[in-house]
Amino acid sequence: MATIQNTYELTYIVNSVISDEQVKDLVARVTAYVSEAGGEIIEVAEWGQRRLSFPIQKKRNGYYVNMYFRSSGVMIPRLERSLEIDDNVLRYLTLRMDSKMIRHYEESKTRQAISYAGMPVHHENDDEDDD
Amino acid sequence: MKTTTRTTTSMSTNTTFREPAYVDYKDVELIKRSLNEQGKILPRRITNVSAKFQRQLTTAVKRARHLALIPFVSDSIM
Repeated sequence: MATIQNTYELTYIVNSVISDEQVKDLVARVTAYVSEAGGEIIEVAEWGQRRLSFPIQKKRNGYYVNMYFRSSGVMIPRLERSLEIDDNVLRYLTLRMDSKMIRHYEESKTRQAISYAGMPVHHENDDEDDD
Repeated sequence: MKTTTRTTTSMSTNTTFREPAYVDYKDVELIKRSLNEQGKILPRRITNVSAKFQRQLTTAVKRARHLALIPFVSDSIM
């Protein structure tokens, strides 16, 4: 039986008080957890350290990690449970991406690629992308 | 075309505003425009956006708050 694969977006905040290596280790562990559970990693974007809008567990800063992956839904509760248990994860948010979100994600990717190439971003193209 | 992009005057400001198809909780700049100084969500009466878009905004605001991207309360008077 083929399991339904969904695209997910996961953002989590790591306690930035711990050392850089520990942060790196944790991020690697989460990523490995997803891929070992049969998930296909699309992207792991580390936003780096940011100031939190309000203190969480008495911390004013957090290390943000934003990742995208494809997997079956059964692993999500397990992943969330492991994030919940880990004391160094302050917050997390998992979203199943619908077609609209995927399109938005792809558009922002292409826009990013264009701006990286040093070319002007054509906002006019946004009007024609509806199907 | 299936999806229509609605253009409204003002989303808290008087500039022309085009509603994107999806409101990303990561887009703090956009979300902040739908909040007042206290960090409260502005009513549709003020934002002047479609009901569909207002609902998406609300969800995005709540997600952004959870991730501490925007405050639950700012400028709180003690």
